Amino acid sequence: MERRSFFKMVGTASGAALTGACGKPAAELLPILVPEEQIVPGVEEWHPSVCRECTAGCGVIVRVMEAHHKLERDGESVLHPIAAIKKVEGNPLDPVSGGRLCGRGQASVQRLYHPDRLRGPKKRTGDRGAAELSDADWDEAHETLASLLRQIDPARIVWLTRAESSSRSATVARFLDALGASAATTVGVNDFSVERAAAKALYGWDGLPVYEIQDADFVLSLGADFLGGWTSPVLYARRFGHFRQGRPQTRGTLIHAESRLSQTGWAADRWLPVAPGGEQDLAVAIGNLLIEEHGLGKDVGEAFRAPYTNIDLAATIAATGVSALRVRETAAQLAAANAPLVVAGASIVRTNSVAAVGAASGLNVLLGNVGKPGGVKAPTTSPFPRPKFSDPQARLEEAEIVFVEGVDPLYLQPALKDALAGVETVVSFASMVDETAAFADWVLPDHDALESAAAVVPEVAPGAALTGAASFVRPLYDTRPVEETLSEIAKRLEKGIDHVTAHSAYEDTFAALDEKDEWDGPLEFADYAERQGGWWSDAASSSAPEAGATVLEAARFEGSESDYPLTFQPYFSSRFGDGSGAALPWLQETPDPTSSAMWEAPMEIDPGTAAAAQASNGDLFRIETSAGSIQAPVYVNPAAIPGVVSMAIGQGHQHLGRDASGRGTNPLAVVAEAAESQTGVLAFGATRCRLSKAGDGTLRQFSIVDRETEPVRL
Amino acid sequence: MAEETNTALTESAQYRWALAIDLDRCTGCEACVVACHAENNIPVTPESEAAASTKHWLRIDRYYEGEFPDIKMKYRPVMCQQCDQAPCEPVCPVYATYQNGEGLNVQVYNRCVGTRYCANNCPYTVRFFNWFEPEWPEPLELQLNPDVSVRPAGVMEKCTFCIQRIQRGKLDASEEDRRVEDGDIETACSQSCPAEAMIFGDLSDSESKISKLAAQGRATQLLDELGTQPRVFYLERAK
Repeated sequence: MERRSFFKMVGTASGAALTGACGKPAAELLPILVPEEQIVPGVEEWHPSVCRECTAGCGVIVRVMEAHHKLERDGESVLHPIAAIKKVEGNPLDPVSGGRLCGRGQASVQRLYHPDRLRGPKKRTGDRGAAELSDADWDEAHETLASLLRQIDPARIVWLTRAESSSRSATVARFLDALGASAATTVGVNDFSVERAAAKALYGWDGLPVYEIQDADFVLSLGADFLGGWTSPVLYARRFGHFRQGRPQTRGTLIHAESRLSQTGWAADRWLPVAPGGEQDLAVAIGNLLIEEHGLGKDVGEAFRAPYTNIDLAATIAATGVSALRVRETAAQLAAANAPLVVAGASIVRTNSVAAVGAASGLNVLLGNVGKPGGVKAPTTSPFPRPKFSDPQARLEEAEIVFVEGVDPLYLQPALKDALAGVETVVSFASMVDETAAFADWVLPDHDALESAAAVVPEVAPGAALTGAASFVRPLYDTRPVEETLSEIAKRLEKGIDHVTAHSAYEDTFAALDEKDEWDGPLEFADYAERQGGWWSDAASSSAPEAGATVLEAARFEGSESDYPLTFQPYFSSRFGDGSGAALPWLQETPDPTSSAMWEAPMEIDPGTAAAAQASNGDLFRIETSAGSIQAPVYVNPAAIPGVVSMAIGQGHQHLGRDASGRGTNPLAVVAEAAESQTGVLAFGATRCRLSKAGDGTLRQFSIVDRETEPVRL
Repeated sequence: MAEETNTALTESAQYRWALAIDLDRCTGCEACVVACHAENNIPVTPESEAAASTKHWLRIDRYYEGEFPDIKMKYRPVMCQQCDQAPCEPVCPVYATYQNGEGLNVQVYNRCVGTRYCANNCPYTVRFFNWFEPEWPEPLELQLNPDVSVRPAGVMEKCTFCIQRIQRGKLDASEEDRRVEDGDIETACSQSCPAEAMIFGDLSDSESKISKLAAQGRATQLLDELGTQPRVFYLERAK
């Protein structure tokens, strides 16, 4: 079925498929007794699904066609016709993706067909971390884990996951509840705990605020790389496009303030290079100017205004690293705009990030745009739990069994290695051996996301949303969805959990709405997930903000300034996200947006620092911090802030398949153990460092400009 | 003479395909780069050869402008510009590249003998030579798009404006006995673009979105001083 006929497809009965020859539409429908995943279509079909590469929850459509899979049968190689996935695109009906999709989402098909995917369950035979695994049997795994769980104190069961709200998170919650164990926890890196905590403290909201960029006319993004590796890059890029050129007579102006020139900084009309740790100062200084010089915020309470007014303005501006002229200019532009908006975030987390994001979000209260068009809206509620952070180090120290699903904790927090080594049994659901799966006693591979039925609540959406997929291709290998594994284990424990399927997730949601007379549409899963890829409502949350005051605090950095004169800040890129993108060859080959490097991630340093260290592009340098040292090639970035060393997160895996393993270094490995003070999450942008030359190296850059021009003059 | 011929070709054509890229919307996210790989069976180049031989039919060029702290990154997606006066065409000794009736610079893979004269003569450096036999470690080959041929070692390749999608759009329209309508056909890059910065369409339809964008004050063409008459229009960033 053609892409443009997708809308027509949604009218076709469930289980039906079009067949035909020479691309002509055929009238014949297959009998509904043939399960959808067993149909091998001769011509293309498009099925709705949901992207799981990050937690944004973009609705996608998937092109399915016949292909021939090479199999070994009776010692012979045979070609077996299967329904194969050819392409993943955005679902035009989905309000988050709107028919668009980022590079990571499109590359997800390479995860499905990655040659190093696990073909079935495995158990550990060698040392932890060595990834020496032997084939196991599903029954054996279920039986062993059930017998372990029978004997364990439920308080010593830990489930590490990512911050996704979905039918999966609901099933896990039921499973853990049935066992009497604590709720699943995130590992506190790339889970937006900071932004959630700030929204809770400032507005009383549960979830991430929704920024109405598309209707604003002036946007200041403070610390939020919303076009790069932040919460919902496709939704916000769509909104940005509209903000810039989607309205006659109005072109939005974007000022971006961050400690590196990120993708949002590129797209901005002006970048304000904020000194690391100066984000809160910039927010407070602008707030002060809005109140004192532009007369805003008269209707908000004194307690709310106090953090902005009780300051030494000159000293605060000096601490931002931005010129007083630019700070004043920005405040004046915000005050003069018809629809001003501040997008507040902590793409790079410092020790005071909740305070900094709170202070930046508070500017929206001063500007009076909370809940207004072009302002900031409350998040919608989710029918499923969204796992929250609790200190994984402390949890692991007490754990006897740890389940790891949807996240690679040893990559994101290598410092957890010792704590995990002390856990008696580690169970991973990874579909490829990653850093944590290499440590696991059991690896019980989940279906690939494109083979799975699911219901996902997007991280940020214009209204209430439940995006999902039915199964439409047969799983390639002997894998099992996590839900099924948990159900099998629970059955053996006689805990019989009623696991949440994509079907029941939809139908329970509709039933709950129906009970409250808030829904009069069809109540069947097939009407939504299978036909159009989700259920979406325009109804936004009516939650009124509480406008709590922000408590300010200064940022701290680990390491003395005399020993470590530079600041080190790893960042999440749009290419690799939480690091899992490094497994996919298309993403490895895609040039890094800043350095144009392929197959590696260099450290970015400014020309002055490079001159002092006698460093040129490609030289191999050592980054030393109080937590250790790593080596990486240098990229001399003319836009790097003097004294600040930045490095994209994503490389440096020992495992994760042939395209990621043994390549580059993981910048998170040398991040000191500093915590964000209010949430306890890892403050990965709070480490000082120094550089030393380690040798000659190379930097594979795609950009012809970089390859053919002289090295940056020092 | 060449100009007259090409003008005659385009005037007689039913369609004149073109692409507009709004640099005021573009975020440089490279979704289009991955979309192009997924659609067009572009193989991954061995890492050891990556710096010299990586094929991206579509790339994002980026330049720094100004000095810190008032520094900016400028960037633009660059692919085959489908020139009306294409410098790559007259130098091909075997006529493996030519302009078709709809203004596309077509590459005939099984005619190409790999002289690489075309790449040498392309001012946009958007033509790529296949130094290696393409390989997909099993089962990655299951993803290959059956609408697009896999090019062997020894031939030149480049952006086709997703000619397979154009062909499909024309067939669909002809089945309904009508012209292709504006918006019927999207290239893989324009379809994926999150910021909706890329617009594909038919310049011969004066009401099409592309015709209106190409006539805008912000519309420019890359290296237009060379007289190549590209079919890609860049809408410059507004001040």
